[in-house]
Amino acid sequence: MENMRLIVTGTVGAGKSTFIRSISEIEVVDTDTIATDETALLKTKTTVALDFGRLQFSPEMALHLYGTPGQSRFDFMWDILIRKAHAYILLVAAHRPRDFRQARKIMNFMNQRAQIPMIIGLTYTDSPDAWSEEDVCLALGYMDENHLPPIVKVNPTQRDSVANAVIVLVHHLMQSCVA
Amino acid sequence: MTITGNFTDFSLPELLHFLDHGKKTGLLAIELLSENSKKQHYYIWLHQGRIVAAADRLDEKGLTLMIAQRGWISERVISRVTRICPTFINTPLGLSLKSQGLLQPEQLKLLFNTQVIRQISTLFEAEDALFTFKPTTNMPIAEMTGLSMTGTDVILLSLRSLRSWKTFADKLPDPTSGLSSLIAKQPQIPLNPEEWQLWEFVNGEISLHHIATHLRISLETVQQIAFRLIVVGLVEEHFMVASATSNLANSSPAVALAAVQQPPEKPNLSQSFFKSLVNFLRSK
Repeated sequence: MENMRLIVTGTVGAGKSTFIRSISEIEVVDTDTIATDETALLKTKTTVALDFGRLQFSPEMALHLYGTPGQSRFDFMWDILIRKAHAYILLVAAHRPRDFRQARKIMNFMNQRAQIPMIIGLTYTDSPDAWSEEDVCLALGYMDENHLPPIVKVNPTQRDSVANAVIVLVHHLMQSCVA
Repeated sequence: MTITGNFTDFSLPELLHFLDHGKKTGLLAIELLSENSKKQHYYIWLHQGRIVAAADRLDEKGLTLMIAQRGWISERVISRVTRICPTFINTPLGLSLKSQGLLQPEQLKLLFNTQVIRQISTLFEAEDALFTFKPTTNMPIAEMTGLSMTGTDVILLSLRSLRSWKTFADKLPDPTSGLSSLIAKQPQIPLNPEEWQLWEFVNGEISLHHIATHLRISLETVQQIAFRLIVVGLVEEHFMVASATSNLANSSPAVALAAVQQPPEKPNLSQSFFKSLVNFLRSK
């Protein structure tokens, strides 16, 4: 059985749980709990442990998706997952500059632990307050446009959009395997 | 593209660093509420990421008034010079006046210090303000001394003299984190002695807490110095893994972990796996 482990990470409210739910063929393990403190201002529930989804596309092949908690105080789980993952997608809400710093922290945390392919998924890009792709990348610390990871705009509520994001990530992973 | 936000979401130091490294040219307009609920406006002009002027007005009279208030040159003389000087159209006012022998280089530096550095340092203490950055190539020639400074240099100068760090309390690096360098060599930015001291510990392995103990300075001071180095892009926060916490509300992490077993070792994936997955996703 071949399993690909994909981590879906990002800040609170960026769309991680929704992303997994849109593509998973199984009921996503619902580990939502009541949000406390400042995250409650964003949403009433937040993922505390992690979300898990699965897509079995052939008898011997499956995609496993692990969604991390948005809050950094749960990093110990990430540390377990990131070392076993094949790739990850970092979801960033383009209309919330307050989250860019946290997104950058997440990226730093991931990259410090494992060098695996990643892409950035920009959500809420249709919001009038959304920053441009170029400006979000700059805010995330990418100064050199020649060293950007692949970036996609994604609507986590739409299966086609999520599928497209996963395809981009798979292609990126394939290229890194060849390299 | 215009970007908007507020300082609680995206602090002024981060914003200036963003504009510096993006080599942005345009006008940064800041609106803040003063204590008596009156709105105050400030404007900062940047060219290729360098700050060239700042003012609390848009009529390009701020620098003229500043010079006149110091008793150096009257407004009338400045007005006459700018009318007769052919180069004024494309030359910053400060340089035009210097070329006429009316201002000395030291005076230009003083003006720039008051107009830009001191003003922005004050803005660093603003807790809540709205900002809008609009790209534009129209620079306020009459508001410019002719001097400029990178956003990075202004950030360091301002943060070093910051009196109250209340605004950045929730943005400081965690005491349990270490620091990792983002540059290959030694910093080219001029650091002060305490910043150099902290730089010696930038290896990602020593927490800020331990650095403070070793240097015999307060943890708060170490966090502030670290913040300066982070915000100008020299280092990044290096997270040490937190142990499991029991401080969870209505959660059952044991259930979540039981539902998802710890993944086994990571095997390589075949090309046919990738192709099958992509074909499957495209077909649905």
